Amino acid sequence: MVELLERGELLAQLDATRAEGGRLVFVGGEAGVGKTALVHAFAAASGTPVLRGACENLTTPTPFGPFLDLGLDLGDEARQVAAAVLDELRRTPLLILEDVHWADGATLDALRVLGRRLDATDALVLATYRDDEVEGDHPLRLVFGELATTRAVRRLSVPRLSLDAVRELAEPHDADGGAIHRLTRGNAFYVTEILAAGSESLPETVRDAVLARASRLDPAARRFLDVVSVVPARAELWLLENVAAAELDALDACLASGVLRADGDGVAFRHELARLAVESAVAPHRRRALHGEILAALAPRGDLSRLAHHAEEAGDAGAVLEYAPAAARRAAEASAHREAAAQYARAIRHADGLAAGERASLLAAYAEETHLIGSHAVSAEASLEALEHYRALGDTLRQGDLLARLPSTYISLGRNAEAEAASLEAIELLERLPAGAELTNAYCMQASLRMLNRDNADGVVWGRRALAAADRLDDEEGRSFALNMIGTSHLMAGEIDRGVEFLLRSLELGRAQDNEVRINSALGMLGSGLGEMYELEGAEIYLREQIAFGEPRELFVGYAQAWLACVHLYGGRWDEVAPLARAVVVSRHRISEITGLIALGRLRARRGDPGVHEALDQALELSLPGGHLQRLGHVRAARAEAAWLAGDREQAAEEARAVYPLALEKRHLWFAGELAYWQWRAGALDEAPDWIAEPYRLQLGGDTDAAAEAWRGRLCPYEAARTLADADDEAALPELERLGARPALTALRRRLGLRGPREATRDNPAGLTSRELEVLVLVAQGLRNADVAERLVLSPRTVDHHVSAILRKLKVRTRGEAAVAADELGVLQDR
Amino acid sequence: MDTYVILRRSGWRSPEELGEAAARSTAEGERMEDDIRWIRSYVLEEGARVGTVCIYQASSPEAIRAHAAAADLPVDEIIRVVDTVLVRPDPAPAPTAAAAS
Repeated sequence: MVELLERGELLAQLDATRAEGGRLVFVGGEAGVGKTALVHAFAAASGTPVLRGACENLTTPTPFGPFLDLGLDLGDEARQVAAAVLDELRRTPLLILEDVHWADGATLDALRVLGRRLDATDALVLATYRDDEVEGDHPLRLVFGELATTRAVRRLSVPRLSLDAVRELAEPHDADGGAIHRLTRGNAFYVTEILAAGSESLPETVRDAVLARASRLDPAARRFLDVVSVVPARAELWLLENVAAAELDALDACLASGVLRADGDGVAFRHELARLAVESAVAPHRRRALHGEILAALAPRGDLSRLAHHAEEAGDAGAVLEYAPAAARRAAEASAHREAAAQYARAIRHADGLAAGERASLLAAYAEETHLIGSHAVSAEASLEALEHYRALGDTLRQGDLLARLPSTYISLGRNAEAEAASLEAIELLERLPAGAELTNAYCMQASLRMLNRDNADGVVWGRRALAAADRLDDEEGRSFALNMIGTSHLMAGEIDRGVEFLLRSLELGRAQDNEVRINSALGMLGSGLGEMYELEGAEIYLREQIAFGEPRELFVGYAQAWLACVHLYGGRWDEVAPLARAVVVSRHRISEITGLIALGRLRARRGDPGVHEALDQALELSLPGGHLQRLGHVRAARAEAAWLAGDREQAAEEARAVYPLALEKRHLWFAGELAYWQWRAGALDEAPDWIAEPYRLQLGGDTDAAAEAWRGRLCPYEAARTLADADDEAALPELERLGARPALTALRRRLGLRGPREATRDNPAGLTSRELEVLVLVAQGLRNADVAERLVLSPRTVDHHVSAILRKLKVRTRGEAAVAADELGVLQDR
Repeated sequence: MDTYVILRRSGWRSPEELGEAAARSTAEGERMEDDIRWIRSYVLEEGARVGTVCIYQASSPEAIRAHAAAADLPVDEIIRVVDTVLVRPDPAPAPTAAAAS
C-alpha cells in the first residue's frame, strides 16, 4: 500500500472544515489519484466511528444506493432519506460517500437536501467523485450549481503526486521514479500497480499494470478474480460460494496479494480501475456465462437494479423483461427518473417478443420518464411509437390519453403546431368515449396551450369546458387544474382580481386534497403571472410561498426563483437578483433559464456592468424555438433596454419592433406597453394604442409626473426614476444614485450639464462610513464581533477591522465607550 | 473566471483608510475564493483623496459587486479584460502604496 504522501495540507483543510460546523465536502480528482485513500486516512486519524456508503458503477444504479449501505430505515423519498441520514449523523457525525459521480438521481436529490440542512449540525459528509467524469451536463454538476451558494458545501481537489513523491515511493523497490512519474503523471493507483507488478519493463497503461500484477497469481486465483470482476462494486461471500465454489480457496491468495480487499460480508477489488481491467480481459462467452450464473444465484433475493444488469449482460431477454420494468417503477417512485428511463430503455431493447399492448405500455412509461428528465425528443419518439400500437389495437382511451400528454413535450421542443394537433386529436378521440378524467385533462391541456399563446379568451373558454367536465365527474383534481387555467388566462388578460380569485380557488382545492402538484402549480401561476403583470407585491408573496412550499418537498422551484429575481430587479432590490438568477441559469430548465438570464442581463445593463450580451443573447436563443410572446416579449424588451443604455438607438427600436405586432395582437398590456415605449424613446413610433399599461400610456401621452407616480405605486423605483430622467428632471438623480444605475445616471448628468463622476458620498458623523455606522449600532446593542459578523453576513475579520476603525475615529478605547459616544452623536436614534 | 478591471476613483480620504479597506477586502475575498481572486491594484493619487484601479479575476460581475458590498469598497465601473499585453513586469511598488498591496 502506498503510504499517504503529500496529503498533509488536504487533511489539515478537512480538519479546519470540520471545525466550522456541519459541512458537505465534495472531494474531486481523477480515477486512481487517491481520493479514497485521503478520506479514509482522515477518518482513521479522527478516531471516531464512520458511516460509509458507495455508489456502484452500474449503467442504471439502484435508487439511494449508497444510503442503503447504512442499514437505516430510509423511507422512499429524498427528503425522508435525508432526514434519516441527518438523524444518524447526530449519533455518528462522519459519513463517507464514495464515487458520487455514479450516483442515481434519487441519491443526488437526497444530497441536495443534505447540503442545505447540514449547516445546523456538527456532521461532516465527505463525498468523493471523479472530476474528469462530470463534464458537460452531468447531473452532479447541476447539484454543484444548485449548492454553490450554500454555506455548508465545499469542494476539495486531490492533485496527482509530484515527481519527488513518486521517487520516494519507488526507492524501496529500486525502481526508476522519474520514468514512472513520466508514465503515470503521478496517478497514485497507477504508481502502486507498477510497483506491485514489479515487472522488468514498465507497463504502458493502467490496464497492463493491473493485468501484469494479476498474472502473477496461480490459475485458480486468476479464475476467481474473473468471477469477482463481473460483479460491480462488491461480491458477497455467499454469492461467491454459489458461483465460484471450486476456486474459493484462492480467496486468501487474492487478498494477500492486495488485488482484492475484504469489504463487509464480501470482497471487492482494491480499485474500480482494477476491476474494469480484469473484467475487460475475460473472454466474452465466459463473461456472459458468468453473468448468467450470478443472475441465477442472485434471483431469489437480489436487488432489482443488480438483477436487471446481470440479466442484460447474460443476454437473457426474459429476465430483463422481468426485472428492468420493476426496477424502473421503483426508481420512478423514488424520483430517480434518469434511472427509471434507463431501465425502461433496457426493457425496450429486449421487448421484440412482447405483445403490442405490453410493448406500448413500456414505451408510454419510457416517454413519461424521458419527458421528466428533459429528453424531449426521445420522449416524443417513444410516444409516437406507443401511439402506433394503441391505434392498431383500437385502444382509443390510451391513445387519447397519451396524445393529451404529448403537447407539453412538443412545446418543450418548440414544435408548437404538432402540440396543437396532438391536443385537438386527443379531444376528438376522447369525446367519442364516455366522459372520464382523461377528457378533462385533455381540455385542460388545450386551455394551457391557449394560455401559453396568450389567447386569453380562448384559454377561459377551454378552462370552463374542463371545469364543467370535472364537475360532472366530481373530479377534484381536474377541477383544480381547470380553475388554474381559467385564473391564469384572466390574469394574463390583465383581469387581476378575477384571475387571482380563480387561482386561489384552485389552490384551496389542491390543499384540501393535499395535492402537491396542484398546490405548487397554483402558487407558481400566481407568482409568475402577477410578476408578468407588474403586480410586484403580490408576486413576491406567492413566489416566496411557492419556494417555501416546494423546496422541502423537492418540487421544482427554479421558475419561481427566476421570477423572484425579476421581481427583485423591478422592485429595486438589485443585490438580491444575482444569487437567485445565477442558481437557475445552470438549471437546464429552459423557461427558468430564460427568465433568470433576463434578470441577469437587465441587472448588468442597468448597472453598466459587463456580460449583458452573453446573458441576453442566450436568452433570445432559448426563446426563439417556442416563439411564444411570454418569452419573446420579455427578452426583446430586455434587449431593447440594453441597446438603449449602450447608446444604440436603432438597435433598441429594432429589438422592440421584432415582437411588437405579436404583443398588439395578443393585447398584452405590459409587453405592448414596454415595446411601444422603447420605439417611442428611439423616435420610431408615431402612436401607441390607448389600452397599454398605465405608466407607459401616461408617459407616452406626455404626463411624466403621473407616469412616475404610477411606477412608484407599483413599487418600481428604477422605472419611476427613468420616467423622470426621460424628461430631464433632476429629481431622478437621487434614486438613480441609490440604485447604482450608472448608464442612466451618466446620461442624465450629461444632459443636465452636471459634472461627474461620483460626488464624495455624504460624510456621516465622526467620519464614519455607512457600514461602520451599521456595525457601531450593533456593537452598542452589546453584540460580540462574531455575532455582528453573523448578522451582517461578513467575515469576523472584516468586523474586527471595522471595530478598530470605529474606535480610532471616535477616539475611544473600549466598546462601552464607543456605545456612549454613539449615543452622544445621536446615531442610534436615527436607526 | 474572467479578468476584470475595477475603477474605484477617489474612494478613500487617506492611505490609512485605503489600508483598512485592503484588509477587509482580503478577509472577504478568502470567503469567496471560488468566485473572486484579487490580482493587483494600482493606487491613484487624486487630489486630497486616494483611489484605485484593481485587477481581479471573478466568476461574474455580480461576484465583484457582492465582494465589494461585503468589504465596503466603492465601485465606479467594472470592465471586462479580453486580452493582456504584457510588455514589462510591474515596477517595484513605491513605498507609499505598500499599504494597499
